[in-house]
Amino acid sequence: MASHADNADGMHHAHVVPAKMLAGVLMALFFLTFITVWVAQFDFGSANMLVAMAIAAVKASLVMAIFMHLRWDTAINNIMFLGSFLFLSLLLIFTLSDFATRGDTSPIYLERAPLVNDTSPEKAY
Amino acid sequence: MSDHHAIVTPTPEGFAPHTVAHHYSSHEQEYQSCTLAFWLFLATEILLFGGLFAAYFYYHGVYPETYVLGGQQLSWKLGATNTCILLASSWTMAMAVRTTQLSKKGETLMYLALTVAGAAGFMVVKYIEYRAKIEHGLLPGFYFDPHDAELMGDPNLAMFFSLYFTMTGIHGAHVLIGAALIVWAFFGVLKGKYHSGHYLPVHLVGLYWHLVDLIWIFLFPLLYLVP
Repeated sequence: MASHADNADGMHHAHVVPAKMLAGVLMALFFLTFITVWVAQFDFGSANMLVAMAIAAVKASLVMAIFMHLRWDTAINNIMFLGSFLFLSLLLIFTLSDFATRGDTSPIYLERAPLVNDTSPEKAY
Repeated sequence: MSDHHAIVTPTPEGFAPHTVAHHYSSHEQEYQSCTLAFWLFLATEILLFGGLFAAYFYYHGVYPETYVLGGQQLSWKLGATNTCILLASSWTMAMAVRTTQLSKKGETLMYLALTVAGAAGFMVVKYIEYRAKIEHGLLPGFYFDPHDAELMGDPNLAMFFSLYFTMTGIHGAHVLIGAALIVWAFFGVLKGKYHSGHYLPVHLVGLYWHLVDLIWIFLFPLLYLVP
């Protein structure tokens, strides 16, 4: 955590990111954008989404680590921000797994449990 | 609270000195507290857009053909242009934070101005896109009224455009807010308030701008390319 070196005077000492590194990251981001568009012309079927998101995740990591300075930042800042992605993934996993397991039309779900004294006609769920 | 005199951070020649707020025991604590609070706020922004992404993924699962049709109505070239504009403006913002840390006032003003120019360029492209949608009657939800026969056939297309306008609209609002913050930072730099001894406000404005870029990095492929 270079930004907290020499803290005897209580002053915050800035960690300055080298200009070359910033320029390099920008070039990498442009290149990955080109790849994103290029890869979109191929159809991987259901993996289309995954491929697009994977490339986006790499770009996002570069922006977070270098532009947003997380690479040299305190652990708690990293935990805070990356934690939000963790909780977002919980939202996505539960929502999508609920959706993915619907539409079961096996007979057990269509069968209604018989009620006592019930004379109403047979209903499907 | 200890009885101490005001803490003033080291200030280079020609800049305005920064006094640490009295409720902090040191400059380092001020910096870390404010930064942590801002990261917490950014986490809530991720959750805001995350909820919209969840809606997007869900409806993509239910109506994949609708997303193909909807995606074809969008111009990936304009989307890619906007992506490159935002990436470049993220770079100019990072450079602005860097030059603030080095107390280079003129360069900082230049990089901040370039970042705002990027924001303006993004909104211009956005305006072009929205205008094309509106002209073709491709409006969100209730107002969906396509002029094209092929598009009238899909009853769920209105939902795609509801998501499109909501997600890009809220993102666009963030671009405007970010631009306003950068203009605010610009005037602070102009007055000599931000320098190597006090670059925190520029850093935090930069974090907000990078978040705007981050959101778009995910929005672009999902709306324009995957379908």
